[in-house]
Amino acid sequence: MPHKESGLQLIRVSEILYLALTALSFYLLFISRSGEAHTVWQVLHPAFIPAIFASTSLLVMILLTSEKTAYKLLFVIILSILLHSFFPIVFPAGDLSGQQSILGRIRLVFDNTVLHGLTGWPNRNIQVFIYQLFIGANLQAALSVTLARMLCIDIFYVHLFFIPVLWGTFVPVAAFLVTKAIGGSERASALSGLLISVFPYTTYFGAISVPNSLGFIFFFYSLCFTLRYLSSNGSKNVQWTLVFSLFSFLSHYLTGIMSFSLLLLATAARTYQNEKKYALTSARILLIVSFIISVSLLPLSFIYLRVLGTSIMPVFTLDNISELSIQEIVSLSLFGELAYSSNLRIIFLNISGPLLAFLWMLYLLFRLRRKLEVRFRTQVYFLFAVFLIMLIDYWVLKLFMEGLPINEERLWVFRDFIAVPFVGLAVYAASASLEGLSKQKLKSIEPSNLERPFKSHKLHFSSLLLASNALFPALLGGWMTFSLSAAYPQVAPLQTTWYELEAVKYIEQVTQEKYVVIGDQWTTYAGQVIVGESNPGAYYFGVNDKIGHELFVNMSRDPSPRWMFSAMNQTDAQVAYFVITEPRLGTDAFNTIVASVKEPLQLFYKSENGKLCVYSYSGSNQT
Amino acid sequence: MVRVTSNPDGFERLIAEDPKLVFTLTSYALILTTYMNLNTIKSAGLGIALFILYFTINGAFLAHAFFENEGRFFRLIFGVLLTIMLLGFVGWLIMVVYNLDVPEFSFVLFIVSTICSLTNKRMKDKNAT
Repeated sequence: MPHKESGLQLIRVSEILYLALTALSFYLLFISRSGEAHTVWQVLHPAFIPAIFASTSLLVMILLTSEKTAYKLLFVIILSILLHSFFPIVFPAGDLSGQQSILGRIRLVFDNTVLHGLTGWPNRNIQVFIYQLFIGANLQAALSVTLARMLCIDIFYVHLFFIPVLWGTFVPVAAFLVTKAIGGSERASALSGLLISVFPYTTYFGAISVPNSLGFIFFFYSLCFTLRYLSSNGSKNVQWTLVFSLFSFLSHYLTGIMSFSLLLLATAARTYQNEKKYALTSARILLIVSFIISVSLLPLSFIYLRVLGTSIMPVFTLDNISELSIQEIVSLSLFGELAYSSNLRIIFLNISGPLLAFLWMLYLLFRLRRKLEVRFRTQVYFLFAVFLIMLIDYWVLKLFMEGLPINEERLWVFRDFIAVPFVGLAVYAASASLEGLSKQKLKSIEPSNLERPFKSHKLHFSSLLLASNALFPALLGGWMTFSLSAAYPQVAPLQTTWYELEAVKYIEQVTQEKYVVIGDQWTTYAGQVIVGESNPGAYYFGVNDKIGHELFVNMSRDPSPRWMFSAMNQTDAQVAYFVITEPRLGTDAFNTIVASVKEPLQLFYKSENGKLCVYSYSGSNQT
Repeated sequence: MVRVTSNPDGFERLIAEDPKLVFTLTSYALILTTYMNLNTIKSAGLGIALFILYFTINGAFLAHAFFENEGRFFRLIFGVLLTIMLLGFVGWLIMVVYNLDVPEFSFVLFIVSTICSLTNKRMKDKNAT
């Protein structure tokens, strides 16, 4: 009894230490916040990575104890939120990417600049309208705006933390449930919840607020209920799978289509289970046909986009494959875009998790073949089939299709979701073997069992104890911490800076009339997160807008009012602004433009550090 | 008379039992406060408190209705997730039909609260029979 109590005390002390270290990590991340940075690695506090490593290792130790599952998952969730919040905490406007454009569009809904969501009423044809209604960012917009209004916080902050918090909370729990569904113990399943962070792709998608990330969360839950459906007779699980698949589809069609293909395969697997005793051949044929349909659903869905009358034109082609050598085809099929990377560390970190999962999957399949009656056989086979579907779909999209509206690399997130329960099982098996060995050793050093000298036994036992209790958690903690370096980019353009944000806020506050801003794409990113994308009252040309780009180039060469006037005419604005930023243009180009600006253009705003200038021109200047 | 309990399980059960629709009405009162907060008070602190209370009540309704057999922690997770999904879905519908300004947003909260309360009641009756 006293032994048990001291064990419990030790767990409590570890938990307090873990919470203190995680709080310290949050604090260190907050003080790393920078208004001018390219990557998070540039500005992270030097003590942050050691703190993360220590708290992760400690958490692994806690997960391997007999602590209640709810507490374990709560600790995992706290760490998971931290690991996915690098962008919104460190950068002033989150990651410079599509998420800022999404925020720009959602801002329009929040500010009531548009009606009927991001779709607008049909102006071309009804198919396009329905397509946009269901697969746009509408669901995320509705959710973000609702939460922002409930919290009474600006959409800017709610959007930036929306996916990191949602992902950090719900994805580890889904990983836990999926591992449980394939027969994992409570400890192995809790480990899976944590180990989802060793997959760089998933960490990255959990850190950016885009509709695809929201879709991934619902996909993971639909997978969880699909596995439950395979093991139970009730119709409840299939209904939940349908609900989560529908939400996954509303969030993003990629995740929606994948969820529905899983459901199709699961239904076929259930039918196979029921019918194999009576008609084995037809049951097998049904299973094979369902597998083929599940594989083809995603590639074909891209082709159907053309039928809907969208401007996206994906096609099947042999052009890609004919341009590649055999070596390139093989490496692309196995590693994806990583095949072009020269950084071996990044490649290793990206493939180590899936490779371990694949090997453990093969081991389980081999073991299952030898045992006739195993409870979780169907689920393991099913996940293996889904793993294959993801790989085949990736190959088809990468090698045989062109003009896709998405980057094929996103499919790796599905692969990682399938892989994580197997990594959890493999890691837990390794930990259990180490523990078993130390117990065996402990028995062998009892005086009655002593054959070898006592000192030698003690040394063996101590080393095993050290390995299972300290080295193993440290190894996993190290792996997770190291994986972060592959998840968050090492090279990136200058993120939206504090002075760009200040400038666009100042323009918005001071200007009463309709205005248009001529700036580079970075100014557009900053502008749209504050006033919305293509806001008619505060117009920033789109990131890929050719006219906006030409106007900026012309203004940079010849800062004369005629380009400003042209912008005003095109957007029906009363005032035009021209924004230049020194780090974006380079010091020489910036100084040249500043020197060549003449009346009637007026200096409207200059940032405190002198790195940004805004020039204005209004209709009244001209008269 | 509603009895207050310090046991989280008991508190959740109490919400799910919803005696004399106390918690449904509390949820409506929260919506009214949220509406006033958005229009006059404009406090993020109050918003966060209202957010937590709203999710606790409606999450408990849904969790109890659909996931009664799960553990307490998983009921909480599923309850919150379902409330988020329902808010998103109803918000999406209202947004597509018109927009999500403050009155429409309050209407979304009202619909979600009503759905949660009715679902809870329906499942309670179903389980009772």
